[in-house]
Amino acid sequence: MTRAQAHPHVGSTASHEAELVARLRAGDEQAFETLVDEYYPMMLSVARGYVRSRAVAEEVVQEAWLGVLKGLDRFEGRSSLKTWIMRILANIAISRGTREARSQPFSSFAVHDDEPAVDTDRFRDSSDGFPGHWRAYPRDWGTLPDGALLGKETLGVAMQAIEELPDSQRVVITMRDVAGCEAAEVCEALDVSEGNQRVLLHRARSKVRAALERHFDG
Amino acid sequence: MAESADHITCMEVVELVNDYLERTLPPDEVTVFEQHLNFCDGCDLYVEQLKRTVETVGEIREDDVPAEAKERLLSAFRDWKRS
Repeated sequence: MTRAQAHPHVGSTASHEAELVARLRAGDEQAFETLVDEYYPMMLSVARGYVRSRAVAEEVVQEAWLGVLKGLDRFEGRSSLKTWIMRILANIAISRGTREARSQPFSSFAVHDDEPAVDTDRFRDSSDGFPGHWRAYPRDWGTLPDGALLGKETLGVAMQAIEELPDSQRVVITMRDVAGCEAAEVCEALDVSEGNQRVLLHRARSKVRAALERHFDG
Repeated sequence: MAESADHITCMEVVELVNDYLERTLPPDEVTVFEQHLNFCDGCDLYVEQLKRTVETVGEIREDDVPAEAKERLLSAFRDWKRS
């Protein structure tokens, strides 16, 4: 299940957002602080997908928040507040990334990369009676000690694996599985097609799984 | 998908798992996929691993807002309020 399904309060409802926007426009500083607490971490993770340096990413996030404040009076609620904020962030991150001469539109990332989700040598080849089937089964993670999968060490392995992903895959898995964004929100914020978003997520999740597998199999 | 409409290999399954979990596989492919899981323990275990991977990633907590960054933002908010 996704984080959004496991934690239904993640992601905002329309009425929650409308109330928050009204309070912001009225100058309610507490409301702004709540908003920052909720979105800043995800914004930083996403920004770091576009610009590698943490310092630059923090600047991008600051700039994005200024953009949010500037645009707040004109925000009409046609998209969710979250999507709108992420869109502002993405636009600033892209233009900053371009100036840093490193980023490309995400839509170009997924197309050329052909790596399989699992090493092909894990499967029987055509000389075998059952080509394409597992040589040896994956391990049953249900037999791991309680809490192994959600413990600090395992989280560290997953975080490291995410850190090593190509930028576009890292941003998508961060937004979807760490921050609990819906697929449509990610597509809209990053301006990628649903298909590309899914491919990126597939590749990212496959790689993290492989990293966890290496960790457990020693 | 494989040439035969009613059979897929494990190699194909691992490429389709994410679409399956995202519920974006067409219904007839879902049937073939689930039939495969019914008789293939290996792929059943793989799908479980992927689900648990997503759960694990969901437990990652991103860093809190750095104090200095938050101060700058609150200050920007107060400036915006005044203007």
